[in-house]
Formats: sequence, C-alpha cells, structure tokens
Amino acid sequence: VNPFYFGTPQRRLFGVYTPARKAGGSPRAAVLCYPWGQEYIRAHRSMRLLGNMLATAGVHVLRFDYFGTGDSGGDGTDGGLKSWCGDIETAMDELMDTSGAGKVALVGLRLGATLAADVASRRKREVSALVLWDPVLSGQQYLDELMQTVSMRPSGPVPPTPRRDKSGGGHEVLGFPLTRTLADELRGLSLSSLIPAAPARTLVLLSAEDRPSSADLRAALQDRAESSEMVERIVSQPAWLEDRNSGAGAVPVRMLQRIVQWFG
Amino acid sequence: MSSRILEQAALLGSRKSLVGVVTSPVQGSRVNLPAVVILNAGIVHRTGPNRMSVLLARALASAGTPVLRFDLSGIGDSEPRADSLPPLDSSLADIREAMDWMESTRRTRRVVLIGLCSGADHIAVYGGSDPRVVGAVLIDPSMPRTTGFYLRHYGRRLLRLRSWFTLVGRLKSDFRKDKPAVAPDTPTPDDPLPSLDDPAVRGYLGARYQSAVDNGVRMLTVLTGGRENLHNYPNQLVDAFPNVSFGDSLRVEYFGDADHTFDAEDERTRLIDLIVEWTLQTEFAGESARADGQSA
Repeated sequence: VNPFYFGTPQRRLFGVYTPARKAGGSPRAAVLCYPWGQEYIRAHRSMRLLGNMLATAGVHVLRFDYFGTGDSGGDGTDGGLKSWCGDIETAMDELMDTSGAGKVALVGLRLGATLAADVASRRKREVSALVLWDPVLSGQQYLDELMQTVSMRPSGPVPPTPRRDKSGGGHEVLGFPLTRTLADELRGLSLSSLIPAAPARTLVLLSAEDRPSSADLRAALQDRAESSEMVERIVSQPAWLEDRNSGAGAVPVRMLQRIVQWFG
Repeated sequence: MSSRILEQAALLGSRKSLVGVVTSPVQGSRVNLPAVVILNAGIVHRTGPNRMSVLLARALASAGTPVLRFDLSGIGDSEPRADSLPPLDSSLADIREAMDWMESTRRTRRVVLIGLCSGADHIAVYGGSDPRVVGAVLIDPSMPRTTGFYLRHYGRRLLRLRSWFTLVGRLKSDFRKDKPAVAPDTPTPDDPLPSLDDPAVRGYLGARYQSAVDNGVRMLTVLTGGRENLHNYPNQLVDAFPNVSFGDSLRVEYFGDADHTFDAEDERTRLIDLIVEWTLQTEFAGESARADGQSA
C-alpha cells in the first residue's frame, strides 16, 4: 500500500493507493468512497480488505478520506456533501493520473454510495461502473436514524446534545459533529433521483431487509432495462455497524467477494 | 486545521509495513519537548475513536512537538507481521520499530507514549523497557479491582432505592428456591480481563510499572466513568499495586462524566487540553541535557 496526501494545500486529502497486483489489458481502477461518522470508523477494515481484494483481482484502488474526516485535513465541522463530492472527483483524477486508467469505477458504502452516485451522474464519461453498497436512500431518513440511535440509552431516550452556534450548530452524533449546514444538505439528498443518470453498469447491494424507502429506489430502477440485475440482497452483518462492542464493524466477506466477482 | 502544522503519511517499521501519519510543527519543534507516539485503541485505526487521535496530534504539534500516529500490525492499514510473534510481542515489537523510526527521522531520543484502552495496556507493559520513553499517558488502562473498588461499587448501588427492591425481590425468590442470595449488580463472570485478579498477572504488571518508575517515566493516567465496572476511583491504580513506588511520577485525573471513548465533544476537548498542558508542564527525564537535537 502507498499512503499519501493529495489535493491542494488548502484541501489536503489522505489516501491509500493499492496498485493492481495482476497486469493485463488496459488498466482498471476504482475509487472507494467511505461512509461518514461512526460508520466510517467501523467500516474502515472492510474497505481496506475490499481494496486489497480488488487489487489482487487486477484493479488499481484508491481509498481516501473526505476533507474534515479521518486523516485528511480540516476539522469535523468543515464537512459538506457538495464539497465531499468534489473530493471524490479529485480522487478520481488522482487515480486516473497515477494508474493510467482512462475511467474509474466508484464503490461507495452508505453515505459514500450516495455521494458516488451523485458524482457518477455528472462525470459520466469517466465513471465506468458504480457499486452502491447499503446506500443512504433518503437523507431525511438517514438523519432520523442517526438521531434515533443517538438518543437510545439504557436509561431511556435522551435528546442528542446540541452544538454551539459559533461552532456550526447542529448536534453531536455519536462523537461526530453533525452541523446545521450538513443536516440541511442531507435533508435534500435522495438516491432515487440520481438513479436515472447512473452508469449502465451499476450494482446495488443490500445487506439488510428491504426498507420502505427501498420501494422508491426500485421504482426508480423500473425505468431501466437492466433493473432486474441491478439490486442484490446479500444477507450479512453490516460492515458499518459496531460488532461486539469493539468500536469496529464486522467484515462481511460474502459481500466483498460479490463486489470483486462483479468487477470480473 | 492550523497552518502551523504539517501532516505527512509514512511507511515505517523494518518491512515498511506500518502505516502512520506524522504531524509536525512547521516552525520546528520546541527544544525540550519530547516527541509523541499515539497507539491504537483496540482495533480502531489510527484516527482513534471519534477522530480523537487526529485532534490530539494536531493540538500537540501546535504546541511544538512532532506526533506519530500509526497502526499496529494487522490493524487499520498496516500489514500483519511476517514473523510468528504472539499478539502482545508483535505489538511491542511494532512500538519499538515506531520509536526507532522517530529517532532516525526526527532525531528524537525522548518520547511520550499515549494510549487508550489496549493502547494504555501496551504502554504499561512497554514503557519501562525502553529508555527512550520518558512519559506515558494511559487512558483507561486495565487494573485489578481493589477493596476500594468493591466498597464503592456496592456502596453506590445500595444507596439506590431500586437496588434495595431488587435485592429484596431476589432474596424472596432465592428463599423460595432454597438458593443462596445474590448481591445486586455483582460484576459478572464474563467481564473483560478477569485474569487481572490472577496474582501472577498482577505481579507482572506491577513489575512493569515499577520499571517505568525506576526509568524516570512520568505518567498521566486518565480514568473515565464509562469504565466504572472496572475502575471507579482515582487512586485505584496505586491501591492495586501497593508495592510500586509511584511517588510523584504519577498524576491521575478522573473524568467521571466521560464515556470510555469520549463521545462528548466537551469531554474530548477537556482531555486534549489536559494532555497538552501536562506535556508542556511536566519535567521529563533528560530535559536539561537537551540531547534531542531538535531544532528550536
């Protein structure tokens, strides 16, 4: 692996580049897009393993942290969906430059999946394929779930802690600042609105039971000829949920294997 | 992020298989400050729970000292070791290699180690074995339960009316079943680290702490209320190891309202401020010798 910083001096991003371990044909490349907050911490080891498996299968891989998250520059309050989509585009350019690939696939988990779908809808020429792994289907629903999770305590429901206005306001969510600006952006997020512009080669992977909002996604997929092949449910422990009080998530090997297999 | 610091990615260790990030003051390090190495907390990668290690590294670097955060072998982005060392030996070997890297690249022979949970345990074992370690910040380290622990543990619960009802209910139930009574909220057998009550383990840990004290390692121990099933008063570490002469080498701070991973922003900020203040104000071994070769 090759850990490094890229981007601009004002917006330094931390990435880990894993070159393909198998040569042949024109180079293939994939950018992995992390979830946000605690889900990022928990899913890190699954994303690392996925990167290694893809590299072994002959894909150049770049994993990276959005600005204000992980090892990247910036504070936790600097985050925003629009700017994070810009970070994905920066990572795409970096990976194409490094690997020589003319196009990249985007593989996103949870919020990272929805951001990847947004980028794919705008950079159609450069995005060869899209994997949406347990995507956030509705930003409002995601917010509601976060708030509900935060308030669940053994002693009973407790309202999430509000943050000071001078620090961006909003609430503390499981150790991460969910600023008012980020919450407002999330409320407008809808995956189904992005589906019509998704690449022809798109895979949606779900590790849990269908949710009500999955119906919106399926409805959006109905208009696509390849819709029947796009959604798969692989029953597995979600990588983004805490496993046995360890602070980290489980590694759903079957899910990772399916993603690698789909790359072919 | 402050423009006074610079973050760089690094591959370190004998096989260049350990992934880390070093955070440095742009204007150079303060002459007398030791460098800092932050260890993993459990299997969470080097950013730490709630990104706490990143924020701590930046605060310390802003105060004038270089900080390395890195992943132990098999954790985060670091590859597993190629040798067949047992897990603890593997971690200790990684820490030594990280210290070597700091010495060779940053020309610093004095280091403060910082760790939470398993990171603190690694430091407790390693700290006294390497003369380059001059300071240790142990956040929620493992320690045996003491008489003082049990007095507080049961005392607090017996003061709660609800516990009395529970106890009375259990007594009635047990009377009917002809079974011995069970005290309320007894620590369960599957609590983590039961082996700490083993005299051999207690003796080993005590010897490691004594080695650190003998080597002049200054220690800051932070205990949280989030671990009150394991430690519940500031002096428990001293009471647990009565044969260790901690003296004034140990400072203990108790964060009663904080959970184990400092989820609350205010508690996290208070912890970081405390560690920075302690690092700046503590007189570490070798300070007057100015042997580091760090630039002013």
